[in-house]
Amino acid sequence: MNIGLFLSEGDGDISKVVDVKYIAGEHTNGVTARVLGNLHSAASHSAIVQEVKDKKLEGVVLAGESPLFYKKTRNGELLLSLLYAAGINPNRVVITNLREQVSMPHRSAPNEATLKAKVLVDVSIEKVRLSKEVDLIEVSPRRAVTVIGTTAAGLFAAQRLLARNFQVDFIDREEVRDLKNLKDQVLPTLAAIRENPNARFHISKITDFYGYAGNFRINLEGDKRLRAGGVIVAIGDDLKFTSELYPFLRLERDERGFFKTLSSATAVTETVQQGIFLIPEQQSLALSIAMADSAAMSCDALLSRNAIRHELFVSQVDEAVCGGCGTCIKTCIFRAAEIDPAKKLSSTNIKRCVGCGNCVSACPTGARDQISASTKYYLSAIKILASYKPPTGAKLLYVICEGCGYPSLDYAGTTGLEYPTGVMPLSVRCAGRLDTQFILEAFKEGFSGVVICKCKDDHCLNIVGNTDLDRRANLFRAVLSSRGISPDRLRIFGVSDCDGASCVTSAVEFMNYLKTMGRA
Amino acid sequence: MAKVKVATGILQGCFGCHMALLDLHEDLIPLLVAIDIVRSPINDVKEVPEVDLGILDGAICNTENEAVAKEFRLKSKKILALGTCACMGGINGLRNLHDLDTVLKRSYVKNESTVEGFIPTSPDIPQMLPHVKALHQVIDVDYALPGCPPTPAMIMGALLDIINNREIKIPSKNLCHECTRTHEQMYIPRREFVTDSVTNIMELDEINEERCFLEQGVLCMGPATREGCEARCVKGNTPCRGCMGPGPDALEQGAKMINALASVLPAGGLMFMEDVVGVGYRYSLPVSIYPHREAK
Repeated sequence: MNIGLFLSEGDGDISKVVDVKYIAGEHTNGVTARVLGNLHSAASHSAIVQEVKDKKLEGVVLAGESPLFYKKTRNGELLLSLLYAAGINPNRVVITNLREQVSMPHRSAPNEATLKAKVLVDVSIEKVRLSKEVDLIEVSPRRAVTVIGTTAAGLFAAQRLLARNFQVDFIDREEVRDLKNLKDQVLPTLAAIRENPNARFHISKITDFYGYAGNFRINLEGDKRLRAGGVIVAIGDDLKFTSELYPFLRLERDERGFFKTLSSATAVTETVQQGIFLIPEQQSLALSIAMADSAAMSCDALLSRNAIRHELFVSQVDEAVCGGCGTCIKTCIFRAAEIDPAKKLSSTNIKRCVGCGNCVSACPTGARDQISASTKYYLSAIKILASYKPPTGAKLLYVICEGCGYPSLDYAGTTGLEYPTGVMPLSVRCAGRLDTQFILEAFKEGFSGVVICKCKDDHCLNIVGNTDLDRRANLFRAVLSSRGISPDRLRIFGVSDCDGASCVTSAVEFMNYLKTMGRA
Repeated sequence: MAKVKVATGILQGCFGCHMALLDLHEDLIPLLVAIDIVRSPINDVKEVPEVDLGILDGAICNTENEAVAKEFRLKSKKILALGTCACMGGINGLRNLHDLDTVLKRSYVKNESTVEGFIPTSPDIPQMLPHVKALHQVIDVDYALPGCPPTPAMIMGALLDIINNREIKIPSKNLCHECTRTHEQMYIPRREFVTDSVTNIMELDEINEERCFLEQGVLCMGPATREGCEARCVKGNTPCRGCMGPGPDALEQGAKMINALASVLPAGGLMFMEDVVGVGYRYSLPVSIYPHREAK
């Protein structure tokens, strides 16, 4: 496979710590390495796309900003879409975080930072090498939107969508609410919506929610079934409703328990779930209206496309290995694992699978695998990460869940915290993906300790990933003891997505502890 | 066609695999038309002659096992690791949970039936190796057939494949595929444990002969175990102990079982089980990612 490695100098920010030119020089075997001033200017974008075409690249590693940059900014999104358009499979674009997790937190140790960066780049290259192409499907978006919450913001967003000929379904637990002292401003809008034949109100509870942007399926109590291309959540500060909706919508929550958007600066109504938009509680009616307009516009822009492309990052079953034990059926909270009644083997319902990988960990045969990050990749990644030898202190395998640990570690970097280079990050989609086999592999490869950062109690985007990890890891401590490995060398932390400081203090404290145990 | 010359030998094991070979009974007769067993523990020839196929059962536990294995490798064109001990170290491998010194003391000194015991040091006695190993960890192995013991039919099938220069066929699915017990809970997509407790099989008032053991709260290793044994234990109303070892895509039988059980049986109950490690790694410890206790 021809792989292109694009290393960013971060306009000098990365290159003043990490010697990216040295890393580029180290990669010659089947890898085309190139150093660019940055990866997000128009000139860099066209240079990268040109290189893809010239060198007939099949996989790309982007070493620079955090993967979250590509999720949260238009520039990042644009580069990815350009690469996909140039024919690179989405599973073969891998991002190495050289800024937030290397150059920022290790700015006082440039030599070590460079060596560590090289190892992280190697892990990404290995990931591209081992990746399968992910299948794509195209959904023709339904011109229907479900608005959850009959708040002022919800009504204003609906008004815009109705004007653009969308069907709008309102769902709420109580009749029109939250109008407080805004009656004069909102009631005319409400009256107009009530008159509109394309609007319906459902005062009911959601019992099931699945599908994807462009085609969501929402079941309500009393066997009412709705379908919607997009969903707008406008429930204000109703915490009870947030908790009720959370297992269905799987949106990130802030420390107070409210849903939150991807970014309050660059993606103000978008959420981690494509097609679900959020209007957060606002201080004034004017801001509510502005946010409602923004959500309606974003929703309209998405649903007015001819087709929405979805990469099927789902769990796959190797039918030659699956024996139909049913473990995955019991494990999957999304009811995405099904038994094929004829074959008596497990299969994945692609409409329901969120790709969290909990069933992959649970599968006792190894028949299930995650297409975005295979078991083979993780075992290989652990070996490569272990090859970094920190000059002092313990070496930690620092497993970070994409929902909490990853952004927290990024946050530590951006807020200027420094920590020892021996913290070797390994990102997992969800803590539930952490197969206990990986823990044993890490100790075999010489890590002094293993840290798993999982979401706090009821903040797991995959609902049960964090508790399943807890059960597995705690049972597994007996296995560690049996090998003479102190179970204290495995630590599990519940973190939020901006716990940078506690991530760093706990890592440093753990490293000191390992040192006293003679493990550094 | 010239007969295929075969030598068989036993390392650290219980002779069960050789017994399974003899259990072919009259089916041995046509087999002996094609193969000539020139050396085996049954005809008690000591030397290993040059052969086409060397069959070894048992694990590598001591220096004699190592020497025999190496001699077999030298004299045989192909080697078949027969049975779980040869393939994965088998039950002998549980010794790896302790250091050798502890094991020797327990056997020879701190032993309920021994007075003034001592650890034998005669040079005529093979020395125990620090850790039990599977055959392939000591010599190159061409074919591997797990099972404790493999069924006579599996042995026959493997021998016919080898004689005919084919890869031997080992099933790749787990035991649940072969097990005929019914599922009531395991196939219901609901996040709740299949029972409210974990039970020792002896504690059950009545063992339902037709229902999945896990659903009765009894720990059965079937899900994490390769099929091929004809599910003899579960047919005999006894849960699977995992003797066929992990399937081809799992590295760790014990770890995989723990992963699986977390969402099937109440973890609280499992925690108090006496021996999670012994159950999970009963047959496959020497081929684990971490195959023995770390030296102090």
